[in-house]
Amino acid sequence: MNGLVIEPGSTLAYHTGDWRTQRPVYRDKWPPCGQTCPASEDIQAWLAYASDQKWEDAWRKLTERNPLPAVMGRICYHPCELGCNRKQMDSAVNIHGVERYLGDMALQKGWRHKPITDTQKTQQVAIIGAGPAGLSCAYQLARRGYPVTIFDNQDVAGGTLYSGIPEYRLPKSILAQEINAILELGIQLRLNSNVGTEISMDALRNDYDAIFVAIGAQQARVMTGLDNSSHSVMAGVDFLRAINTGKSIQLPNKVAIIGGGNTAIDAARCARRLGAEVTVICPQEPHGTQPGHPGAEIPASLEEVLQAEAEGVRLVYRAGIKRLVRSGEHLSGLEIARVDRLHNLQGDFKPVLFEGTEEFLPAGFAIFAIGQEVNWKGLEAVIEKPANNITVGGDAAGKPRFAATAVGSGFQGAMITIASLTGTPPVYEQHEKAEITVKQLHLPYYPAVIRNESAILERWKDNVELVTGFNEEVTLNEAQRCLSCGVCFQCDNCWHFCPDAAVIKNDTGYEIDYDYCKGCGICAQECPSGHINMEIVTT
Amino acid sequence: MDKRDPYRHNVLTSGHRACSGCGEAMAARMVTDLIGANAIYVNATGCLQVFTTHNQQSSWQAPWIHSVFANAAAVASGVEAALRARGDDTPVIVQAGDGGTFDIGLQCLSGMIERGHDILFVCYDNEAYMNTGVQRSSSTPHAVRTTTSPPGRLSEGKHHLKKDVLSIIAAHHMPYAATATVAFFHDLKAKVEKAMTIKGPRFLQILSPCPLGWDHDASLSVSVSRLAVETGLFPLVELENGEVTSVMRLKQQRPVQDYLKLQGRFKHLFNSTSTAETATGNANGAAEIRHLQALADARIRRYELLQAETEWDTVRASQVQRHGRGGYRNTGQEAAS
Repeated sequence: MNGLVIEPGSTLAYHTGDWRTQRPVYRDKWPPCGQTCPASEDIQAWLAYASDQKWEDAWRKLTERNPLPAVMGRICYHPCELGCNRKQMDSAVNIHGVERYLGDMALQKGWRHKPITDTQKTQQVAIIGAGPAGLSCAYQLARRGYPVTIFDNQDVAGGTLYSGIPEYRLPKSILAQEINAILELGIQLRLNSNVGTEISMDALRNDYDAIFVAIGAQQARVMTGLDNSSHSVMAGVDFLRAINTGKSIQLPNKVAIIGGGNTAIDAARCARRLGAEVTVICPQEPHGTQPGHPGAEIPASLEEVLQAEAEGVRLVYRAGIKRLVRSGEHLSGLEIARVDRLHNLQGDFKPVLFEGTEEFLPAGFAIFAIGQEVNWKGLEAVIEKPANNITVGGDAAGKPRFAATAVGSGFQGAMITIASLTGTPPVYEQHEKAEITVKQLHLPYYPAVIRNESAILERWKDNVELVTGFNEEVTLNEAQRCLSCGVCFQCDNCWHFCPDAAVIKNDTGYEIDYDYCKGCGICAQECPSGHINMEIVTT
Repeated sequence: MDKRDPYRHNVLTSGHRACSGCGEAMAARMVTDLIGANAIYVNATGCLQVFTTHNQQSSWQAPWIHSVFANAAAVASGVEAALRARGDDTPVIVQAGDGGTFDIGLQCLSGMIERGHDILFVCYDNEAYMNTGVQRSSSTPHAVRTTTSPPGRLSEGKHHLKKDVLSIIAAHHMPYAATATVAFFHDLKAKVEKAMTIKGPRFLQILSPCPLGWDHDASLSVSVSRLAVETGLFPLVELENGEVTSVMRLKQQRPVQDYLKLQGRFKHLFNSTSTAETATGNANGAAEIRHLQALADARIRRYELLQAETEWDTVRASQVQRHGRGGYRNTGQEAAS
């Protein structure tokens, strides 16, 4: 440039950033899927790995909170999908389908859980109950270096996952493999050990520094005022346990199920598989008839109800049982009547029946699936004398009694246990991120892709798993439907549209060069996922 | 040299004095980065020239020359002829605003095309003389408020229609002419790249929103330019040798009000005080909105924007992908010395 009279400078010397009154900031938000997940999985994060075909990273992110993805991908009622923002555009992402694929892939490839820390702790923890809550708690503690022993009074681990969920929904081999993968972290499992009767609570307190009680709600609730103690009557949980542990059961031609929960539907479908004609007496209304009044509709999941009906199970809605009709010992049927209201005057759930609406329902066998209770026998001290180092979790701690809630409860139990052992406040990783709604998204930027659904096999009589899993191509397609609400997915919009070349792209994402950003707000306006905030400059 | 960004050369780099949210700065940064630093840029007088070359500072990281308002195309013709004489095939690009294209630079542009120079002429169309304080140009659309077409009791903004410069260009039967806008980057990219593979005179008209002159929020530049296309007021088309060869199909036509309402330059139409035609208050503003809607409908019919069978439409062209859809090929390329 020797020929020039004036050596030109670059405008880079002039920092236009000081014109700014507001500035863009990249901020991750907390999407509704994660907000609604009972196990607090960071669903958006593992779907993002899955969309990049980083299957193992996705599985590792998922299992930070839930060590049972192959199980939960099959049986969880996926409240995450009810929250999904994509619903406002076409339909929710099939999150459980992707979760199941990741869980199955981990089992197939033999991926092993890794401890978070190398330092081995010395304080011993006992866990009572090898169900989803106990396993989840043991997993979180073992990954953090604590020696853990699980006590269970059954001869197979899994709790309700094993005894309450039929093979056609959750194959026993899948459950066993995921439990083994958890135990491989070095967890001791003592089966057939009944704490409270064989092993006293005091002995346990002497030997262990902390105890997590996850005994579940195994005891069937009994309907009062009925002659239901004798022949041809069984509780839903006991019926399912008998089926799931391979006991042979003879059923008469006609079977009645009383109740409208998932246990009732599971029992109905199992009885159907044994060849019976099955009628479910449900006190609530059908799905979709009472919008805005969720308690007024049948609590069993819609998918389960539809599959049961397809298999020939008959449902009688808004009906309750008045008495069992016996001739001698023999059960000949039930007298049922229409339900007036679901709660009595005290506000307890106790369907009140209309007078004069009685009808006779022939049935040689009745299964009551009207809820379960916690059996505290031998463990009364846990309730009566609360201690810092004893934590109750899972179904035993209260409702809602879903498997994913138990997994989440296991995580929290582990955090509380660690807090009691170390004398520090519990760390839940509370999300400080702002929640994001569909209003902050820019939906026209997203391609339309139709939701993928799993196929349901027609051969229900074979008692094999009914719902089929996704293949890799479908899983990838489904994961890529995620809108990545509030989290950057590197679409380049902010980078393309910045008039001031103040958005710099790098290998991991973008950064804003505040020396030059004039704060126009185009990047935030055009960000599809609502990741960019405009913040007022105060100084 | 600015080497902040490993994925982009930033031919038009930071520190320029364009207003916050400037659509022309955005468009020029896109176009020049798509072409790269290995080109000679000739600029007409206008916003772009003023805000990028200020007080002994330049934002250009490529050879760049400015002469006067009218003659950018003539200067570029000379540059191209000299390069050709030396056997040098460095691309030559003209950048001008609508003033330097539609009005003051039109005859030099026409001459450049007629003589068949191998030059890409890019017009950043912001529909008025913004740099000097928003005076009307022949590109200013009908019914727009500018400082020289103020609305009032006897006027609803600019009386005349926007000049159809693309038809004038097309009448030269030149190899390639196209329209684009900032909202559809991938369409813009395809057109720039296509233009750079064609020899001879080429013309690109890019609608570039001006938050100051159009009087919309600085954050809405992209949204406004997208609406200009979706309403049919600014059709995205390609012409080869004077014939329309491709258009951006409108997935759904939006009413012109959606576009007008965001901009202060049309505000008087919704709050009309004119008494020129009737005494019923808003009648004139409403009549002008109907007129603008009719102009949009006519353009849609003329270019068959709703029926054309094309791979792209306004919805598909907007859609983003995880990890982007690609950007600039000229990464890390050095300026010609």
